[in-house]
Amino acid sequence: MSQIDTSLNTSNLTQSQLLLWTGQKLSPDAPLYNMVLTFDLPGPVDAQRFQQAFQHLMRQSDALRTVFVEEGGIPQQKVLPELDYQLEILDWSANAAALENEASWLANRNRVKFDLSHRLFDTVLVKKSEHHWMWYLNQHHLITDAWGVSVLYQKMAELYQGLSSDTLEEISPLPGFQNYVAYEHESRFVDQNEKSDTYWQEVTTKLPPPPGLYGYTGSPSTTGATRVSIDLGKDRSDRLRQLTKEKDLRSWTQHLSLFNIFASVLFAYLHRVSTQTKLAIGTPTHNRTTTDFKETPGVFIEVLPLVAEVWQEDTFSTLLERVRTEVNEFMMNARAGTATPALGQGFNVILNYIHATFGDFGDIPVNAEWLHPGHVDPRHHMRLQVYDFTTDGSIQLHFDLNHEVFDRSLLEKVPKHFLKILDAFIEDRFQPIVRIGLPDQEEQHQLMATLDAGKTTDHDQTTVVELFRKQAIESPDAIAVCYQGTSLSYRDLDEKSNQLAQYLGKRGISPGKRLIIYLPRTPEFLISVLGILKAGGTFIPIAADNPDHRVQQILESANPTMILTNSALAKNLGNSKVSLLSLDLDKEEIFSENADKPDVAPAPRDLAYIMYTSGSTGNPKGVMISHGALAHYVQWAKTKYVNEELPVFPLFTSVGFDLTITSVFVPLISRGHLVVFRDSDAGPDLSLLNVIEDKTINTIKLTPAHLALLRDKDLATSSLKTVIVGGEDLKLELAKAIAGAFGSTIRVFNEYGPTEATVGCVVHELDVSRDVQTSVPIGKPIPNMQALVLDAGQNQVPQGVPGELYLSGKGLANGYWEDKKLTEDRFIDHKFEAGSLMYRTGDMARMNKDGELEFLGRIDHQVKIGGIRVEPGEIESALNAHPDIQDCVVALQTHPGAIESGEISHCVRCGLPSNYPNVAFDETGTCELCLSFDSYQEKAKKYFKTTEDLGNLFTETKEQEKKNYDCMMLLSGGKDSTYALAQLVDMGAKVLAYTLDNGYISEEAKANIERVAAHLGVDHMYGTTPAMNAIFVDSLKRHSNVCNGCFKTLYTLSTKVALEKGIPFIVTGLSRGQFFETRLTEELFWKKDIDIQRIDDIILNVRKAYHRVDDAVNKLLDTSVFAGDEVFEKVQFIDFYRYTNVSMDVMMNYLQQHLPWIRPSDTGRSTNCLINQVGIYVHKKEQGYSNYAFPYSWDVRLGHKTREGALDEINEEIDSQEVHRIMREIGYTETAENHTRDKKHLVAFYKASSGITQSALKAHLSRHVPPYMIPTYFKQLENLPLSANGKIDRKALPDLNIEQPTVEVPYVAPETEIEEILAGIWAEVLQISQVGVNDNFLDLGGNSLGAIRIIARIEETLKLALPVNCIFEKPTISELAAHVESTITAMMDAYREQQ
Amino acid sequence: MRQVLIDYIEEQLLSGRSGIKVAAEDDLMGSGLIDSMGMMRFVRFIEDHFEITIPPEDLVIENFMTVEDIDNYLKGRKSA
Repeated sequence: MSQIDTSLNTSNLTQSQLLLWTGQKLSPDAPLYNMVLTFDLPGPVDAQRFQQAFQHLMRQSDALRTVFVEEGGIPQQKVLPELDYQLEILDWSANAAALENEASWLANRNRVKFDLSHRLFDTVLVKKSEHHWMWYLNQHHLITDAWGVSVLYQKMAELYQGLSSDTLEEISPLPGFQNYVAYEHESRFVDQNEKSDTYWQEVTTKLPPPPGLYGYTGSPSTTGATRVSIDLGKDRSDRLRQLTKEKDLRSWTQHLSLFNIFASVLFAYLHRVSTQTKLAIGTPTHNRTTTDFKETPGVFIEVLPLVAEVWQEDTFSTLLERVRTEVNEFMMNARAGTATPALGQGFNVILNYIHATFGDFGDIPVNAEWLHPGHVDPRHHMRLQVYDFTTDGSIQLHFDLNHEVFDRSLLEKVPKHFLKILDAFIEDRFQPIVRIGLPDQEEQHQLMATLDAGKTTDHDQTTVVELFRKQAIESPDAIAVCYQGTSLSYRDLDEKSNQLAQYLGKRGISPGKRLIIYLPRTPEFLISVLGILKAGGTFIPIAADNPDHRVQQILESANPTMILTNSALAKNLGNSKVSLLSLDLDKEEIFSENADKPDVAPAPRDLAYIMYTSGSTGNPKGVMISHGALAHYVQWAKTKYVNEELPVFPLFTSVGFDLTITSVFVPLISRGHLVVFRDSDAGPDLSLLNVIEDKTINTIKLTPAHLALLRDKDLATSSLKTVIVGGEDLKLELAKAIAGAFGSTIRVFNEYGPTEATVGCVVHELDVSRDVQTSVPIGKPIPNMQALVLDAGQNQVPQGVPGELYLSGKGLANGYWEDKKLTEDRFIDHKFEAGSLMYRTGDMARMNKDGELEFLGRIDHQVKIGGIRVEPGEIESALNAHPDIQDCVVALQTHPGAIESGEISHCVRCGLPSNYPNVAFDETGTCELCLSFDSYQEKAKKYFKTTEDLGNLFTETKEQEKKNYDCMMLLSGGKDSTYALAQLVDMGAKVLAYTLDNGYISEEAKANIERVAAHLGVDHMYGTTPAMNAIFVDSLKRHSNVCNGCFKTLYTLSTKVALEKGIPFIVTGLSRGQFFETRLTEELFWKKDIDIQRIDDIILNVRKAYHRVDDAVNKLLDTSVFAGDEVFEKVQFIDFYRYTNVSMDVMMNYLQQHLPWIRPSDTGRSTNCLINQVGIYVHKKEQGYSNYAFPYSWDVRLGHKTREGALDEINEEIDSQEVHRIMREIGYTETAENHTRDKKHLVAFYKASSGITQSALKAHLSRHVPPYMIPTYFKQLENLPLSANGKIDRKALPDLNIEQPTVEVPYVAPETEIEEILAGIWAEVLQISQVGVNDNFLDLGGNSLGAIRIIARIEETLKLALPVNCIFEKPTISELAAHVESTITAMMDAYREQQ
Repeated sequence: MRQVLIDYIEEQLLSGRSGIKVAAEDDLMGSGLIDSMGMMRFVRFIEDHFEITIPPEDLVIENFMTVEDIDNYLKGRKSA
């Protein structure tokens, strides 16, 4: 029979085994990888023969004999030559109790913990009766997969039969699993497939984060999981199989077609329970690609991510089409050994489609059953196992659900929700996915009931006028209003507002008229509100600090009958045609009116006020609130917020903001009073500080931004008892801090409600012991109000899942004033209640496990990073948890280099792209470099010299001492340096030609170099360094190109050679364009009389600084010679083209006629260097434009290239496969980090009590949020911009491209005069709006060009000539300023001494 | 061209002791000779070997049922 491999075989683990091994190490006590099957055998079994057969099976399968040991921390697998083991036999046939306890026996046995260094399986033959047996087989996943079990079973059946009929000899042996291990290693290390490697590399870098299922975003600490199973039933299974025959659903095999359907349904389901658009699911690839492998027991499968996006507009069919393509790609690229931990990070859901079948056991029909060990790798929150064992039976779904992610109530819902989608797919795959709601009717009702606080009658059947009057009658002498030491009683307020109402009545104000109140916060404001309402009018408040423009906008929109104002504010109204009533000038007339109540009274349906809120279009929109809605809110607020103590509210928030409505009305219907704080010129902040000082106030309504201002205040002695927070998301950390500062007696309410639903309609009282999320929940709706969380298809979302918040009920506004379209858009027919309306808030919310609502941010703030939805609110709350952060806001901003390519224009003259940083374009489309060059082009000519001057240089030194060579020429092999070399030789100079061989010079270019050198009869040498690749990598990381690193290497190596050989000059072939590009800045030519010597000095200083910058070249090459200045005297650099101006035609003609130079065909047009395209690729990707864009613009400006030619070259296609090949060769990894510049970035703006470094903030955040949510940039601001109503004004946040770039140091403002001047110069040159005195020049994006410009500007402004290296040696404003100051002092002293 | 395809199937996908021979008109998947994963491996081989890219919409059973079909499909591409 079989040849059995008995040698002791040790080998490394396959990738798949390694991941399983690691997973088991992470949860050492959990049986997560126990793969258990029971084979029910309803027939007679010969137990002895069975045992014997198993002995043969162990000998045949090396997988069964494999154990795992660690050698030096590295796991190894060993195949034992034999196992001393006998299959266990249990006889339950006469043991009723045992038979009864089968389930618990199985459960216990399934959880056996295997010692990895010993036998990794457990098997038992159970006799239930003579004619009923059961084979139990439990194997660790390290030695098997589902297919492997099927192979083992088949072989077991054959061996048993073979023993029965004595035909064992005919049974073929099992192939060894170790063959696959060898194959896998080969595939991984030897036989790589470049396309597949690239594919998985791409997948890895673009992996989405694992989705948060039903709002769960953590990492479970338990391995415990429950299996919930459903049988799809014959009918549904048949319909599915029928569907696989449809052309649009048919794939290679029926199994694959079914897999594609289940995968699509799973993607749609996951999208709906996580709201994530881009999703990955882990799915196994079987790796049994050959016939032998198909017959081998063991673990072949690897779980790899299958990635797809679910779009809003998808139908099932369009989604499936994409999934099918992804699946094909997946299979095409899935190779043995692909799985890596990085690939595993993208998914927490597994889809496993199993169709392994188990034939009869001899003549006994078998019933095989997979048993779930009750544990799953905790990284897998959900596993969906689809069992399709027969081609015509019923398909079963098994959901393995982690206990921590899915609570008891969810266990039932998961299969229901999944089925809802599956059935919709079967029903009509061409319908939009968004149409399908997950919850069934019962769940829908349950969700609604959870958010229903019941109904009260008649709260909306009254008016605040009525309620106030009642209070005035009840307590006429009680204080109603305090203001700057004076007060008004209820009677006073009632009578004065009656007088105003009477006055207004006489001036034609009747119900339905609209009156604007444009007054500061004073008692007159309150009298006006009540007076207008009593006259039946509708008031429209405009805060006194509103900009005139906005006042005009509201005036135009509201078209009021009258404006109530005062003489000071009236001036802002210009020549308004609307009649004005001045509460100061006209007060005698008003308050001499009859103080009786007017004859009219508003009805509940009349409009009480119109509140203007900011609209997305830029025009404020007026929200119309009826008396009924207003009365409804204030009465509820009274019952909720007012207890036995009479409420004393401050009136200190903007009157143009509906949050203030609470403070205006609640005390006046509760026998309490208001303390009025007049607006200060400095905005609301100052008022708040006065409010805190006031010891009569006990109840306050404010925004979280206001609350944040109280952080540092001593609140322990405050009289406040009730704090109502509204208007914005309230972070738990802030709420806790403030509540703690007040002491235990404080009640903090988080009230939520858009203006459109009257001030507040959802509320939660802070409970520091129970509230745990980063934001305080907004709680539950108030009575008579209903809240719904709906998805994009307006279906209710399940508990936990985020959706848009919709509101309905008695507090809803009547719509927007004179904006029918917007009203119809936002106030829509109620989805579940005919005849009612619901308002879509634009806010994201979810219902938590307590049935309370959590606010998740505005839908329009919601940002996407590479398709992943990110809630800035979540990042903000995590940042806020840092003890030094006082307030922060996170926004998504575009990197300046990241403009969509279609939006890029090019300078009409030089072709410079519009996304080149810090360069403005005028209205004709000309860049400012071209414009400014016009102004100094003439002057710049003085910099250039003649060939004669060059010749003199050589003869001068020649006379001084005898040299082997007059100069060294840096010969790149390109046309410029080749021409220059020939000219030098013509001039009679003795030249050493020097070429840096960076390993990527094209063969044809090398041939040119050697041919030309030989032809000209000059000595030539190549310079090389083993550090070249490391320098490339460093240059790519530092500068997003390879040229910087290469140039510096060239200059370093050639200078050293020149020094050794005593060569006094190194001649470069830099073009004139490159002079301007790298050093000849505008500033150098500002002076009337150009001092060329000074320019040369500056350039020399830059060169010194350049060689002393700490980069890879300095680390990897010996650069000690550059430490001193001597080398710069001994070896001077000469730019050949400073002395010669030659047109391209002349140059090319010369090359063709006099030299054996042939244009290389094996490189791109730009260069002789093959690695150059890697630089271009990376630069384009990270900065958005080619690194050649700027130098070429200079070539065009100087007439050495045409604009079109330059554009053609910079837009040349790049061979990305070749680029990736070279990247691998030099060891450059394109990480996600490297990609970040080509997209939008999260930017955190924060206010802090002290300086915090960015790395500290990143480290802090990394403990709270996933890595993709960590902002790329952090900017400290002195204050976050607040809008008039105290909310953070996101639109007023500084732009990324004009602000201070990422710096590692906290911002410190300049103080001294010199610091200010220097900071101003830096800001201008570096094009940033804010420079702190400790910011490092290089970190701010400074380079030698910037240094030259700064030095020139300092000279211009301070009349002080500093060497350029000063900027590098004293790289901060504070150091530089100190240096400048001491230099000036020294100069002054010297001057005085001279006197 | 057919022989190249057949060789790959026999040597790579059916390797082992089976010694199965494939004919140009054999139904590759219907007969269970190769499965979906094998088919996609085969497609990658065809792409690499003939230096072509097969668009997703061409990955249909009609083009890949038999070696003969694949041969015809590839020839059709060339003339297209």
